[in-house]
Amino acid sequence: MNLLKVENVSMIFGGLTAVKEFNLDLNQGEIVALIGPNGAGKTTAFNMITGVYRPTIGRISYKGNDITGQRPDQITKQGIARTFQNIRLFKDLTVLDNVLIANHLHLKSNFLEATFKLPRYRREEKRILEKSLSLLEKVGLVDAQNEKSSSLPYGKQRRLEIARALATNPEILLLDEPAAGMNPKETDDLTEFIRQIRDEFHLSIFMIEHHMQVVMGISDRICVFDHGVTIAEGNPYEIQNNQKVIEAYLGVAEDYA
Amino acid sequence: MKQKKTLLTVISIVVLFLGVYLADQNLDSYKMRILNLCAIYVVLGLSMNLINGFTGLFSLGHAGFMAVGAYTTAILTMPDVVKGQNFFMVPMMKPLDTMHVPFFLALLIGGIFAGIVGYLIGAPALRLRGDYLAIATLGFAEIIRVVFTNIQSVTNGALGLKGIPESSNIWWTVGVATVTVLFIGSLINSSYGRAFKAIREDEIAAESMGISLFKHKVLAFTIGAFFAGVGGGLLGSLMGTIDPLMFRFFLTFNILLIIILGGMGSITGTIISAFIITIGGEALRFLDESMTIGNLVIPGISGLRMVVFSALLMIVVLFFNRGIMGTNEFTWDRLFAKFGKKPLAKGGSKQ
Repeated sequence: MNLLKVENVSMIFGGLTAVKEFNLDLNQGEIVALIGPNGAGKTTAFNMITGVYRPTIGRISYKGNDITGQRPDQITKQGIARTFQNIRLFKDLTVLDNVLIANHLHLKSNFLEATFKLPRYRREEKRILEKSLSLLEKVGLVDAQNEKSSSLPYGKQRRLEIARALATNPEILLLDEPAAGMNPKETDDLTEFIRQIRDEFHLSIFMIEHHMQVVMGISDRICVFDHGVTIAEGNPYEIQNNQKVIEAYLGVAEDYA
Repeated sequence: MKQKKTLLTVISIVVLFLGVYLADQNLDSYKMRILNLCAIYVVLGLSMNLINGFTGLFSLGHAGFMAVGAYTTAILTMPDVVKGQNFFMVPMMKPLDTMHVPFFLALLIGGIFAGIVGYLIGAPALRLRGDYLAIATLGFAEIIRVVFTNIQSVTNGALGLKGIPESSNIWWTVGVATVTVLFIGSLINSSYGRAFKAIREDEIAAESMGISLFKHKVLAFTIGAFFAGVGGGLLGSLMGTIDPLMFRFFLTFNILLIIILGGMGSITGTIISAFIITIGGEALRFLDESMTIGNLVIPGISGLRMVVFSALLMIVVLFFNRGIMGTNEFTWDRLFAKFGKKPLAKGGSKQ
């Protein structure tokens, strides 16, 4: 089933075309990776899908509904969650608070019910707490729940960011370089972890990643960007043997007469 | 354990009011006035801390919200005769001149009006961030003051209002302060409070977690304005007289001083520093008068005591840049941890 459809989306900043005519179909349960050299416009594509930028041209639809130009919080509410390239946790708050906050969007009680701790709010709060703790359990951070999130080691911060995104009950998870800065062991764990949460939470995952081992290992399909243009799309095998992709990464062999 | 803590809270509130009763019986009216001011500054400090400290919005519009609350409360509680005496230049507008309600209701309406004004100002201004928001809210507060100076048939203009019934006493001020502490404390510890803190920590991440920035910023701003209005109403009825000049930027600065000294994002810190600043302000009054040190006679320089506060502020910003408490709070758990297994020994201390 098609979940996310990106049609001919372009983002133009002044004279610079950051992303040009980007197309994407993300189906239920798929893992799609977006790769490309630095500055190719990958994060810009992410920011358009999550509502940080409004695309200059084109249409983005989620489950058939047009979500082009909606605010990030509205898009998250409908079921598209994300993580950030440079980790953006709520640094001064505890690990548990970070996950609890991500449940706020589904809270039905108003602020007076919350302040006076009326029955409906108590029920919701209890459910939120249970859900958050079980999420922390799954990502292996339940022991660190009362620690400041900034005190966690890097790999755990990444996991916490994913747990936080999962707390919003997404159907699509967008991961912006989840393996950045990780050592080989952490990278292997992460690959397994992504596959595991995909199955457990019935997610479709769209991710940006530079780490080829991760990308080739778990992606169903790969999209390659260069200078904002999609130069190739296909399964890992096709991408590995695509001449344009090799040129974009390694440069063009020139003939010297 | 949870019940025990609730019990301790109830006990400390009872002890607090017992203390208030004793103070009321034994202290002279000057000292009572200072205590009243302390309690009012707790309300004002907390309302500003909700906006600036917990939600991270740099707003300087507090004097404006207080003015709205103070005028509303005053107009709704003043007897007809006094209104007649006050409005000798321009008669008062029609339904207002014979309108009055009980003090409690007047305070509440004052707060609600301030909240509405807060909402109307917040809705456009909260699209701005950081320094720009500070400038915009400061401007709006000045606009409120100028409007109040000019709508003479409602506010009596620059002449101000005199003879406001002095309904507020230590029970009112400490009572309202207690309610404010409990309300804002409970709000901050709820899911909404967490959302406010998330916005303070990282707006982009908060928005990506599905928190509507606009809705929550306006909510914090409106609740803050409400309590500022209530605090203003209490202040007006304690002073017995108000005029637009009272609500200049200086008043906002005083409250800002309290929350910066106490710690942006700490309720306990705000309470402590409200007492320090208010009592300090009175205790240092001698600095403003002429002094004789040996043979040297220093003529009174009015405002010299503010130099002490300015120096204090600089010291805090330089060396304790998160204030007395930072974002920490007093909790029973913390106290237990500190005093081992004898929680009841210190059960009565609220601060």
